[in-house]
Amino acid sequence: MQYVVTEIETKTPISVGLFVTCLADLMRPQVAFAAVSLLERAGCRVRVPREQSCCGQPALNSGDRASTTGIAKNVIQAFVQDDYVVTPSGSCADTLINKYPALFRHDLQWASQAQSLADKTFELTSFLTEKLDLNLEGISYPGVCTYHDSCSGLRELGIQQQPRTLLADVEGLTLSELEDSSVCCGFGGLFSVKYPDISGRIVTDKCAQIQHTGADTVLGGDLGCLLNIAGRLRREGKGLKVFHIAEVLAGMTDGPAIGEAEDQT
Amino acid sequence: MSLSASSQRVEFQERARQALGSASLQRAMAKARGGFVDHRQDAVDALPEFDAIRDAARDIKDHVLANLDGYLELYEQKVIENGGQVHWARDADEASRIIAGICTEAGAKTVTKGKSMVSEEMYLNPVLEAAGMTVVETDLGEYIVQLAGETPSHIIAPAVHKTREQITDLFHQHHSPLGYTDRMTQREALVNEARSVLRERFVTADVGITGANFLVAETGANVIVTNEGNGDLTSCLPRIHIITAGIEKVIPSLDDLSVLLRVLARSATGQEFSSYTSLYSGPRRIGDMEGPEAYHVVLLDNGRSRLLGGQYQPMLRCIRCGACLNHCPVYGAIGGHAYGWVYPGPMGSVLTPLLNGFDQSLDLPNACTLNGRCKEVCPVRIPLSDLLLKHRLEQHDRRLNTVLGRFLLSAWAWLVCRPRLYQGVMALPLWVMHRLGQRRGVLSRFPGAGGWTDSRDLPTPAPRSFLRQWHTRNLRP
Amino acid sequence: MKSARDEILGTLRKSLAAGEPRTARRLEELRSRIQNSLPQVQPHFDDDPLTRFCHKHVAVHGTYDRIRSDGIEAAVVRHLTGLGLDTQWHLGSGPLLDQTRWTDQAFVYRKTADKNTKVAVSEAFAAVAETGTLVLCSGPAVPSSQNFLPDDHVIVVESHRIVRHTEDAWAMLRDSGATSRRAVNLITGPSKTGDIEQTIQYGAHGPRRLHVLIVE
Repeated sequence: MQYVVTEIETKTPISVGLFVTCLADLMRPQVAFAAVSLLERAGCRVRVPREQSCCGQPALNSGDRASTTGIAKNVIQAFVQDDYVVTPSGSCADTLINKYPALFRHDLQWASQAQSLADKTFELTSFLTEKLDLNLEGISYPGVCTYHDSCSGLRELGIQQQPRTLLADVEGLTLSELEDSSVCCGFGGLFSVKYPDISGRIVTDKCAQIQHTGADTVLGGDLGCLLNIAGRLRREGKGLKVFHIAEVLAGMTDGPAIGEAEDQT
Repeated sequence: MSLSASSQRVEFQERARQALGSASLQRAMAKARGGFVDHRQDAVDALPEFDAIRDAARDIKDHVLANLDGYLELYEQKVIENGGQVHWARDADEASRIIAGICTEAGAKTVTKGKSMVSEEMYLNPVLEAAGMTVVETDLGEYIVQLAGETPSHIIAPAVHKTREQITDLFHQHHSPLGYTDRMTQREALVNEARSVLRERFVTADVGITGANFLVAETGANVIVTNEGNGDLTSCLPRIHIITAGIEKVIPSLDDLSVLLRVLARSATGQEFSSYTSLYSGPRRIGDMEGPEAYHVVLLDNGRSRLLGGQYQPMLRCIRCGACLNHCPVYGAIGGHAYGWVYPGPMGSVLTPLLNGFDQSLDLPNACTLNGRCKEVCPVRIPLSDLLLKHRLEQHDRRLNTVLGRFLLSAWAWLVCRPRLYQGVMALPLWVMHRLGQRRGVLSRFPGAGGWTDSRDLPTPAPRSFLRQWHTRNLRP
Repeated sequence: MKSARDEILGTLRKSLAAGEPRTARRLEELRSRIQNSLPQVQPHFDDDPLTRFCHKHVAVHGTYDRIRSDGIEAAVVRHLTGLGLDTQWHLGSGPLLDQTRWTDQAFVYRKTADKNTKVAVSEAFAAVAETGTLVLCSGPAVPSSQNFLPDDHVIVVESHRIVRHTEDAWAMLRDSGATSRRAVNLITGPSKTGDIEQTIQYGAHGPRRLHVLIVE
């Protein structure tokens, strides 16, 4: 496998712990396999701790500080040994990077550990563009894609250019920008379960705008948004494919897209 | 407060459902969507100093809040020097009593009003009407909702939820008895008809009531910003001018006003400056041939003073521009009335529980995707979505959310903290879901998914979780 | 029972400073912050004030004419005739208007405007280049109703009174003692509303048209 690493001319590869995210773990394992493949392609040694599940967002966003704290401690401990922690989700990265340190602000024992996790955690596309030099030679995706910027990644972590930089290197891929690509898709985690009809209205508008781009594929960096969008597109009977950006970058697009039937290609 | 109580108790979710089901509302909201956002963006792009001015605006407001008692005293002194009177009201009832008292004493028959959200907080119109007065809203949008027997659904565009067809019907119904029998359908004709009808009201009103965008301690002026000029006609023509304002509206000097005006109109409508920004201080001066004989300011607390010094204090920086409403996907979907009280959208979801009581509006802080766009556009940098999260934490700490919800959350969290057990427990439901949805790639119905599958499918999960695949294949240690 | 004023101020003080008494000295500090108030962040522009003012005034749907001080009446008449209006108007007051000798071409009312007023001619205290704004102050011979009731508003302003930013206008107001006037109206373009379908319509309640005569 061919790779270039800018930061350290590598004898000892960078050790990266993969925070899988609960949605990738349960709903779309291929996103995690794609993330591993990309990190290895860029020269990292990837470790996937078994002692991980969820970052705790559902608890935090429901106001349950105690539960979130417990979950956060688990996550912090699971990744103590890694140089970096990378996750294929802007919103989970935001939780580790911004929310955990805030959570432990008054806890002398945990504050520094939360901060050191925060300092070494990256969302996948920003890690690939800012810390590594990924060579995407040989990766192609024949299609017109549009990109949905997920809110936490965009606003809390400034992820906007990173995925576009990466996609520009994919052979055959054209990007047709989505009007209001920075507007929420209506997922919002438990919001879409607690207020499904409001969420449904928002994602319907989002899908109408997606249609307007003329794209045949929707990409994004957060599975939550993508499940929401794919679910609505399928309900509308639209044939657009939905992939996590990692799947496209890793060339893992031969199988069914998100929400697509297995026998259909 | 009977009115307030009854309107709050209507469930948010039911109101939201009605809003989502209303074709006219959805049509009106779709038409409005984007306009405010694009205009604001253009205005911001044209001003390289915008972010620096936002910082300055935030700092001014923070400085005022840290010295609010002092600035209120200085402002009051100036108003009195100018010949005006200042009234202090602890709550909405006290404020509306004060105003009704002034109007009654003046023998007022007709009262014109410039747009004032604080007067909505006071439920002022019904109080004055009960005292026998005719109350006329003069902001065109607010006039439209008054004719419809409604309240504003947006803090700067009160009738944003109304279609032109609905306005045509309302005008035809209410103006025909006044001699305007033609049915006007075009925007220009509708505006002209309202201009003509309201003109009579302006010149015959005994009392004019306006809000205040700012109160300037330096000069004792109230500042009112409009595009229509209705606020000015309300301020200048009647015998008595009453200003309603929240206590947080005071600012130190005219130079501070400049900073705040630079972000206000740009954030609200994308204008660099509104058509009319007016500073009124006191009644007519000796020698003036017009102007009110009496000038009253009613300062309303209504829970604001309690917010100082606490975690929600940044909310008192709010200058009521409406940008957070315009950029909120939830507001865009359901409109303002669903929020159930005076202030809708993100700023309303933060403020309403604080002013009305946490248990009165449990849904509001939760009905938000935490997408953060409101925080991003706020001209005084109120971290709105963070404050909504603080509300959720407080609801949980106060045990205001449901027992079942709390139980499910703790049970889930307990499991999540035991990853290996979690992976084992999730295996079976995952497999079942996969089997059910395998053929189609999606599940169109799923028990426990709530209403999720009412409006969209649920993509089928993998047969085995990533972690189980990874570790059982023993790909890595 | 405590008055509402004392109770509110008491709660504020309690919330703010955990009981710290607000001394007269503190009030004096705040007063001095007001008195020594200075402009903060201002938009930068390279144009001279006159050019910028004209540009911004047109951008908000205003029209203008650049004239000499002896050409005011002619310019007003020309403007009104151009619109097909009678040459009669309500007249405000100011150094320029007061020194103008009106001929029998014009029919001039020196009184407050009413609901049927068609035209008013006013003189601006100053103008602000930053936003194309005119600053008008009320006074014994200057009723502010003339700013809001007519269909057509003509405002005369001396070009050297066009300042760069609003802060400069405040400084002029302070220097001339005009901050004590009842009304200071900042006017930027004609009256408009977006309340029907969020689409701009001119002439909501105030003037439908705004014409500025810049006297050089």
